[in-house]
Amino acid sequence: MLRLKTFLTVILSILALVVFAQQRVGTFVDEVIVVMEPTSEAAIRRMEAGEFDVYAMTLSSPELFKRVRGSPVLGYESSYGSYNELTFNPVGPTFPDGRLNPFSVPEIREAMNWLVDRNYIVKEIMGGLAIPRYLPINTVSADYVELIDVVRALENKYQYNFERAEKVITEQMLKLGAQKVNNIWTYKGQPVEIILLIRIEDERRQIGDYVADQLEKIGFKVIRDYKRAAEASPIWLSGNPADGKFHVYTGGWITTAVPRDLTGNLDYFYTPRGRPNPLWQAYKPSDEFDRVCEILANKEFTSTQERRELFAKGLELSLKDSVRIWTNDNMSFVPKLKNVLVTADLYGGISGSWLWPYTIRFENKVGGTMRIGLPSGLTDPWNAIAGSNWIYDMMLVRSTGAMAYIPDPYTGLYYPYSFEKAEVTIKAGLPVRKTLDWVELKFEPEITVPSDAFIDWDAKEQRFITVAEKHGDQKLTALRKVTVQYPKNLYNRKMHDGSTFDAADLIFKMILTFDRANKDSPFFDESAVPAFTSFLKVFKGFRIVSTDPFIAEYYTDLWYPDAEWNAGTGANVFWPYYDQGPAPWHVLAVGFYAEMQGKAAFSSAKAKKLNVEWLNYVAGPTIPVLKASIDEMIAKGWIPYEKVLTKYVPKEKLLAKYQNLLNWYNQKGHFWVAWGPLYLEKAFPIEKVVQLKRFEQYPFPVERWAGFQAAPVPQVMIEGPSAIRIGETAAFDLFIEFEGQPYPASDISGAVYLLFAPDGTLVLKGNAEPLTDGWFAFEIPADSTKALSPGVYKLEVAVTSIKTALPGMGAVDVIVRGR
Amino acid sequence: MNDNEKIQRSNLKRILRYFLIRIIIMAITLVIGVYVVILVANMGGAVDNIRKSQIREAIGTSLLGDEVYRMMKPEEKREYVKMLEEVEFKRLGLDQPFAIRSFLYLKQALTLNLGNAERLTSDTGSRQVRLIILERLAPTLVLMMTAFLILFFVALTFALFLSRRYGSFFDKMIIALAPLSAAPAWFYGIFLILLFAAVLKLLPFGGMVRVPPPDNNLEYFLSLLRHLVLPVSSVLLSSIFISTYNWRTYFLIYSSEDYVEMAKAKGLSSAMIERRYVLRPTMPAIVTSFALSLIAQWMGSITLETVFNWPGLGRRIYEAINNFDSPVIIGANVIYAYLLAITVLVLDVIYAILDPRVKVGAGGVRQ
Repeated sequence: MLRLKTFLTVILSILALVVFAQQRVGTFVDEVIVVMEPTSEAAIRRMEAGEFDVYAMTLSSPELFKRVRGSPVLGYESSYGSYNELTFNPVGPTFPDGRLNPFSVPEIREAMNWLVDRNYIVKEIMGGLAIPRYLPINTVSADYVELIDVVRALENKYQYNFERAEKVITEQMLKLGAQKVNNIWTYKGQPVEIILLIRIEDERRQIGDYVADQLEKIGFKVIRDYKRAAEASPIWLSGNPADGKFHVYTGGWITTAVPRDLTGNLDYFYTPRGRPNPLWQAYKPSDEFDRVCEILANKEFTSTQERRELFAKGLELSLKDSVRIWTNDNMSFVPKLKNVLVTADLYGGISGSWLWPYTIRFENKVGGTMRIGLPSGLTDPWNAIAGSNWIYDMMLVRSTGAMAYIPDPYTGLYYPYSFEKAEVTIKAGLPVRKTLDWVELKFEPEITVPSDAFIDWDAKEQRFITVAEKHGDQKLTALRKVTVQYPKNLYNRKMHDGSTFDAADLIFKMILTFDRANKDSPFFDESAVPAFTSFLKVFKGFRIVSTDPFIAEYYTDLWYPDAEWNAGTGANVFWPYYDQGPAPWHVLAVGFYAEMQGKAAFSSAKAKKLNVEWLNYVAGPTIPVLKASIDEMIAKGWIPYEKVLTKYVPKEKLLAKYQNLLNWYNQKGHFWVAWGPLYLEKAFPIEKVVQLKRFEQYPFPVERWAGFQAAPVPQVMIEGPSAIRIGETAAFDLFIEFEGQPYPASDISGAVYLLFAPDGTLVLKGNAEPLTDGWFAFEIPADSTKALSPGVYKLEVAVTSIKTALPGMGAVDVIVRGR
Repeated sequence: MNDNEKIQRSNLKRILRYFLIRIIIMAITLVIGVYVVILVANMGGAVDNIRKSQIREAIGTSLLGDEVYRMMKPEEKREYVKMLEEVEFKRLGLDQPFAIRSFLYLKQALTLNLGNAERLTSDTGSRQVRLIILERLAPTLVLMMTAFLILFFVALTFALFLSRRYGSFFDKMIIALAPLSAAPAWFYGIFLILLFAAVLKLLPFGGMVRVPPPDNNLEYFLSLLRHLVLPVSSVLLSSIFISTYNWRTYFLIYSSEDYVEMAKAKGLSSAMIERRYVLRPTMPAIVTSFALSLIAQWMGSITLETVFNWPGLGRRIYEAINNFDSPVIIGANVIYAYLLAITVLVLDVIYAILDPRVKVGAGGVRQ
């Protein structure tokens, strides 16, 4: 009886939760309180004591990781955004002062791949918080998954092999005229010294020491030059590599979102075109490698297959060149209480996740206050145009309003957030693919920009310039066209101050694309010119098709391999999410009025130039400036770009929004207004506390993004014979699961098997075929096994999913026996 | 004019001349000191190279995923990067040579117009160095002054008390405990946090007030007091024993002077002996120590503030040093230099009042 009662209580609670959640909009929690705690050790202690629920910093300390894993109350989310490498100075064979530089020889650089044991770095230095990395593409990325057979073969080829490294380096050193005296390499009677520039702020100190040890083992005299970023940068990056102030540098990089196209990495990391810095200018890739890099960077390929082949070739050549060798992708963790559920981005963790505000919640509970710890916040002024760009400020800013699209935290693909549909047209021959159903993709032999599309802005006349006006009868074409339609009810959608969206919000964004970089504009800002210059290189036009619903076209020569990216970024061109956050037009207008009066400026560069304050919409000395501005704007009836905006929205309607904003300011004491699921209740800049509350008029239900709970990485189990007889067929089954459930076959994008010979050479590869959900199978045909020699082989399986950029891997040893 | 008036006028002239010379010397010292700070903060101009290099690194890294950049021709890339760099150099004032900037810094510093920061902003988002310092000054003063004043008066009282009980149990205890002051305040802070915040959960881990901060002033004040308990206790624990020991020794030395023995022999009360014959001659040294320590407090304590997550000036100055933000570093040092100079000047006056042995100038009235 008691059991039945308990059972019924649980069921009723769950039902109540479900019904309540269904009616609820925006966020599961009622309130988010953000507290700053700069010390990660203290943060963990405070979480254990219940002071906050999540510490949204990505950590990579093995000691702290152990502590979190051992805690009964703490859990964590993983992310993979940062990675390490060794950068070589390729000048030589000798520096102008006569010293020998062994790393001028590509073969020696290539041999460093064998000299450095990535598994040692991962296990011993990183305490398991890393993945070995061999290639200039991230191990958690769409390209890694797509090229899995190629990369696994290369990774096997360049496994740690100390003897091979020593042999190659010895051969090459002798060719250079060096001699080994008492186990020390000497050149012209002097020991060959290697200056290893070691960064000391993080794990690179230990990596540097390990590499130095390895180099010493093969006879080099190593000078360990320990430096912080500020001291190292003038040496390796800005200094002349011919000065010979370093031979090797322990480099580190960060990627903040799941990458979808890494083909540009080769050109960036291995050729002088990558960066204008002196070190890059010393790079001398082989002609073949250089050409491959250039074709990939310029996307001069016409099919996915051609791209794949070029990329595979490029990766192989990058290891031959090895002006840098990759060591590890870091696996960071973000600590949280076990009863907290939240969507973390595979690269950005929680702070870089666009979905955190929509998904953060307590297990089995709706409502409540979530306390989030951050290492810093409110670091720079918040304004949507050119305000704070600090990662933790942006995490909070994004909770108050999102872009037109939301990036998938596990694949990097985009989903529509604010628009209803999008159609992408690409010039025929460009290898663009579509993965998700929401986007329409088509190809056309030629995309002509209509003559009535807007291509420029006349800041004096305050009007758009059309293609016909600028180019006359000359035909203008583009490589990509995006037609985006916003929802019919967009204009009913409420913002935090009670205003509703209108066409002016989207048109304002279009105007600002040009105006801040235009010298004739009262809002001209020199610092906006470089980004605009870059934009102009590919921009071909905007066209407003309709304002209710808002439908617009965007023409450009910039395209991406994913249709979802082409659509999402196209939609964002019109959506009022700016570089540093969301902003309705009337909120920006107040800032522009202040800027026009010379009382404050959106960018810190302009603020410095005018010797005024940098605009801060949440606190500080510009709040009274904004208040004075809005009072004057209401009194004068001032509207920016009035001629254009009033064409689409009546002036009275536009002016009414100022009063809403003023009321908001009177209630909250700040001007940060957007439309996201959380609104800024109050910022306490001295105490470093931010209070965000649920926006009850947010239009979308909480379940909208609830499907993103954990990266669905396929878990692979291989079943089959432990021995293969030469000349006979061998059949294997693959069982693929996620959280104990069979993995849907429709979500599997590929299941590849790879057979490696005892020496690590890839001898066979093929695809497994689906039988049903969670069950794939493959056969190694008799013809193929005929070519094998007896020995212990390694059979690897890589399963890739359209739901995550992390492949599922499985491996077994297989004995190959004679007939 | 009688002799007394002559002497008084002469004394006044002497005092004025003395102070004028002192002020001139201090002004020169101040100018040299500030310029040295400017040179040191900028490593004689070498910081410019570091900052330019950091800008180049940041820009180059940001271009890694830039699709338009990857499509540019090499010469377009170079121009584009140059344009980005110039914007940043200009924004941070690196388009002007350091030699010129150094004199601008000096002028700003001496006129107490501290100018604008190059990288940091104040908590409320202002670039004015004045606000960057002022916003953090209040929390620092609340913490450090509370701790310091308690420390000063408690240690002084104890020291006097012990000086009268030389060799007693308490005296021996203080001597035994004095080495505990070898550990800095933050070290005790960690233990106090572990005990009172993590284990007993009686007091907060850190911060200045509870979150979200109370709207009501009284609640805010009470919350502030609660948050002060652990950091102030850390300072007290780290300094109270050595301060008491030092001053008790000091008092003991003065207590054994002949004139004190004479006073004792005359049968004066111990309170009077303490006040007139022990405390008074030690006052100049105590006042000096008090004044100099007082102005030292305003710079805050980097580590203590970090351990207790206290939004103080020490951490701000540390951030400025890490960011090579010269105006903020110079601003903080200039204010300290001014405070020091003024304090020294005021101390000269106080010495003259407190200690009858101190005479301004030499040799008395010229006849």
